[in-house]
Amino acid sequence: MHALQEIRFLLRPGGSLIEIHPVPEGPLIEVRRHGRVLFATPTRSTLDEDELCAEEALAESVRGRLFGIEGSAEFDFLTYASSVAELRDFMAKESAHKEGPEDEAEEAAKAEVYSRVEQTWHAVGEGAEVARRERARIARLRPLWDRRERRSTNES
Amino acid sequence: MTIRLDPENNETRALFDLAEFGGKHVLEIGCGDGRLTWRYAGRAAHVTAIDPFAPGIARARENLPPELQDRVEFLHAAFEDFAAAHAPSEFDMAILSWSLC
Repeated sequence: MHALQEIRFLLRPGGSLIEIHPVPEGPLIEVRRHGRVLFATPTRSTLDEDELCAEEALAESVRGRLFGIEGSAEFDFLTYASSVAELRDFMAKESAHKEGPEDEAEEAAKAEVYSRVEQTWHAVGEGAEVARRERARIARLRPLWDRRERRSTNES
Repeated sequence: MTIRLDPENNETRALFDLAEFGGKHVLEIGCGDGRLTWRYAGRAAHVTAIDPFAPGIARARENLPPELQDRVEFLHAAFEDFAAAHAPSEFDMAILSWSLC
């Protein structure tokens, strides 16, 4: 919530905020061949706490009349790799700078998922491709100001 | 094969459907290695892209296309510090990309 307040402060009157975050359900890992999805499995058994927090922060900013939502949509963000190991290494690097270790049970579940994906990927053989499909939400938000706030912003 | 990120351009399409960049001064928070920045910066007047992860910012600076060098700056900064050091009403648009919470 604090970050959203700061963003609102940095925006000019009439400005806008574009916010993008993945859905809390987490991504799917797919094994594909020639563009066809042959196997798909979720990577999480629980909802992602960070993304739940993002959704709540946005909802709170709307309830508190910091921002109004002008438009929103969802899209799939796909990350393709030629092997399961390549995808796993890439995702590990991508999340290396995130704060805090992942929950042990989630780590174990993820290892099990990757193991199953690896087996399927080998079974498919030549031409097999692996992809991570992450559903994301995007929204355009407009800062809402009351008259008193606008005056103090213009004066500063 | 190397890793391919969003080759379908689903993210870019969704972004361009919602945001008009023409003439805008944009602040991108959580830009990482500039993956998303490249895709829209050519449409904006100026982009300030920040991230607290130093290796990501270093990669972003290294890979900055020459044609974008006069309109994109990458800063290694935490958002709280950046916000504290800046005046109000400085940007037309903020992009919070995969980094809320």
